[in-house]
This record gives sequence, structure tokens and C-alpha cells, in this order.
Amino acid sequence: MADDKDVLRDVWFGRIPTCFTLNQDEVTEREAEAYYLLLPRVSYLTLVTDKVKKHFLKVMRAEDVEEMWFEYEGTPLKWHYPIGVLFDLHASNSVLPWSITVHFKNFPDQDLLHCPSSSVIEAHFMSSIKEADALKHKSQVVNDMQKKDHKQLWMGLQNDKFDQFWAMNRKLMEYPTEEGGFRYIPFRIYQAMSDRPFIQKLFRPVSPEGNAYTLGDLLKEMYPAAITNDAHL
Amino acid sequence: MSGCALNEKEFFSCCQLLLQQSEHLRDGWSWEAVQGSEEGYLRKTVLRSVVADCCDQQERTQPVVATRFHSDGITGDGGDEDDAVCVLSEGSSHVLQYEYHILYSCSYSAPVLYFRAFTLEGRSLMLEDVWSSVHPNFRHCLQNSPLTAITQQEHPLLGQPFFMLHPCRTEEFMRPVLQEAQEQPRPVNYVLLWLSVVGPVVGLDVPLKYCTQLHPSSPSSSEPD
Repeated sequence: MADDKDVLRDVWFGRIPTCFTLNQDEVTEREAEAYYLLLPRVSYLTLVTDKVKKHFLKVMRAEDVEEMWFEYEGTPLKWHYPIGVLFDLHASNSVLPWSITVHFKNFPDQDLLHCPSSSVIEAHFMSSIKEADALKHKSQVVNDMQKKDHKQLWMGLQNDKFDQFWAMNRKLMEYPTEEGGFRYIPFRIYQAMSDRPFIQKLFRPVSPEGNAYTLGDLLKEMYPAAITNDAHL
Repeated sequence: MSGCALNEKEFFSCCQLLLQQSEHLRDGWSWEAVQGSEEGYLRKTVLRSVVADCCDQQERTQPVVATRFHSDGITGDGGDEDDAVCVLSEGSSHVLQYEYHILYSCSYSAPVLYFRAFTLEGRSLMLEDVWSSVHPNFRHCLQNSPLTAITQQEHPLLGQPFFMLHPCRTEEFMRPVLQEAQEQPRPVNYVLLWLSVVGPVVGLDVPLKYCTQLHPSSPSSSEPD
């Protein structure tokens, strides 16, 4: 899988055209225009919206500005989910561009994590990478990497550099078939209509008889409700 | 118990054992089940009285409001007013509600401690306030290592912001104690043992009586009393 560069590039360069509008209740000195941006699916909202912040700050006074947060049709958007996941979860059936409302006050601290700096995003991203490797390789690959390798992974994401990112990520995607491949497949099934944000359980890539499992097998076991008679699988 | 990892069934048994002891000791733990399955977590709520206090820490980029936990109302020495983002203002006295959850991480085969704290008015504590509940001895070494630090995370079952102690080092610090116990041999409750290490770091007390109850008269028995 990690050899199919075209697929990897398509996933990496996926974009969602988005329209950012300022919340009507924000205190502004003049009317704010909407701001349009192509959001990378694989990145995080708070990592790629500096320009959005700058744009709206132009019409606001500093004392009216608190931590920025985003909302779609009344739902606060969790910045720590990849943008593509947020769109697919909340807005996949709506017309493009994706309309997101920007807020600078009344931060919903029962729904959203705070994001005071990009180092928080980096820590969160690296934590996910490490957890995934704990499942794939018992953390051996990620622990063998040097600090500068971890940094390169993060910088690749932050600066949208496919080659820089994958130079490091390919080590994490090594699938030693002689040893049964990944120990477990890191996956999360996100669901919008539930308190429980996602389903994450142990799942082996290969059956005891040695047959490779498919995505359908995983869904059948972890989320059978997804497989209906007219399922688009 | 396979090595120093804990599987989900073992986690469940350890929790049930801890629950029985907690009921006996009136320590306040409860089990919150997920949809009537065996999946769930341990939960405990604690009220504590704190006096907000300021201290300057040169090594840190952000100053922290230090608090002391008192039953007798001794105030600490006053420091300079800091500009950290804190809910608790200097010199003020508060009763805080701390809520602790123990969940199982299948990725790390270990228990994980999640917690959050509120003032009685219902305002959530920020990360800076929470650091102040960590004993200064722990604070320094925790903050320097991001993977053992306290971070804000989404609760995997409730979907709400909690603070979490990262579990990836758990196997590392559990190993020496578990190996010794296996050699003796003596029965160990993994979750209780783990809690007695990580709990005090974030202000969660684990009374010694849990341990004295754990040693039954017969070595093969796993039931308390």
C-alpha cells in the first residue's frame, strides 16, 4: 500500500474549499467580509487558519478577541480532528464551499480542547503517531527514530511538504509480511450522533488462517450497522 | 497477567476488586458501564479546599498559580501577581470539585487516568490551574517530558475535554514492581498498584488500607476478606 505513490499523493493533497464567516454577535468596528480558503484534509484547523484570524482581527478591537474557535451549523468543530474527518462527519452532504462560522468569544470549554499554540497541535499530532505505532509495531519504530526525525514528520505536515513527511512516515508504514505485518491496525470509526466520539479497538490485519482482512471485515466486526443491504462498499 | 501489560479482561477484574475494597473503605469509587457491556471506567469525585497562591518559576515560560491543599486554612507566602490564564485568583480560597476517571487503553495495554476540575460555580479549571495541584517535586520532571506531562485530551467515551496523564510510560514504571511481585510470588492488583503511583501526582489519595486488605490469609485466594 505504501508503495502506491499516486494514492498517497491524492490523500495528502486533498482539499476542501471553505468559506469562513464571522459570527454575527462578535463586536466589530465595520462589517467583516467572508474569507475563502482551501483546507488540507490531512491537517488541523488551528494549524492552517492564521490568515483567517488575521483577516477578521482587522475589523475587531483587541479587547474583544479571545481564543478563536470554529462552528458549523451550531456544532463546535474539534480542531484536534483532521479537517477531512470534520468535513466528512458534519458536512459531507452539503454543497461546497463548506461554510464555517468563526468565533472569538464564549469558548465552549465543555466541547473543545484549548489550543493556545502550535506546540499543542504538534504534541497532539505526535501523540497520535506514537499511539498508532504502539498498535503497529509495539512502538519499536517510533522509539527508534530520533528527535529530529519526529520533528521532520511534524514540519512536513505543518509546511505541506509531501516528500519531507513521507521520508519519515514510510518507516512507520513498514509492513514486514514475514512477521505478519502490523500487529494491529490503527483505526478509528468516528460517529456524529453519539456521546462516544469514536470506536477504537484491537483488530489484527490477518486472520488466524493467514488471510488478509478487508475493510468490510473490520466494519462487520466493529460497526455492523454500517453494513446494510444497500451498502456502498 | 502477560508480562507487564494488562489486557482488557484483567483491567475489568482489577477494577471490580478495587471497587469492592473501595466500598468497604468508603473511598467513593464507582463503575460507569458503557451500554451494559463489560466496557467502562472507574470514577470518583473529590471535593478539596485550596488557597490560591502565586509563585514565580524561572524555568517556565508561563508562570503558574501554586495552590496548597489545606483543611486548616494556612495560606502560603504571597508572590507577585502573574499573568497566567487562571481561574483562581491569587489569595482566593476555593472549594474545587475534582473528578477522576480510570479508563483502559488498548493501544498501550494499560490503565489511563483522566480528570477534570471545577469551581463550585461550575467554571472549569485551566491547565495552568491544574499544574498547581501537582506537587512541586513532580511538576518539574513531568513538565520537561511531554509524554508524561498532563495534557488536555478528549475523553474517549464521553467526548468531553479532560486532563490526562499520558500512558505510554506506564509499562516502564510498572515493570520493576510487577517483576518483584511475580518472583515472590504475591498477588497484585495492577490497577491499584498503578493508581498508587500516578494518583498522588495529581492530588488523588490512595489510602494505605487498600494494601493491607489486599494480603489475604491464604496466598492463593484472590478475594478480599
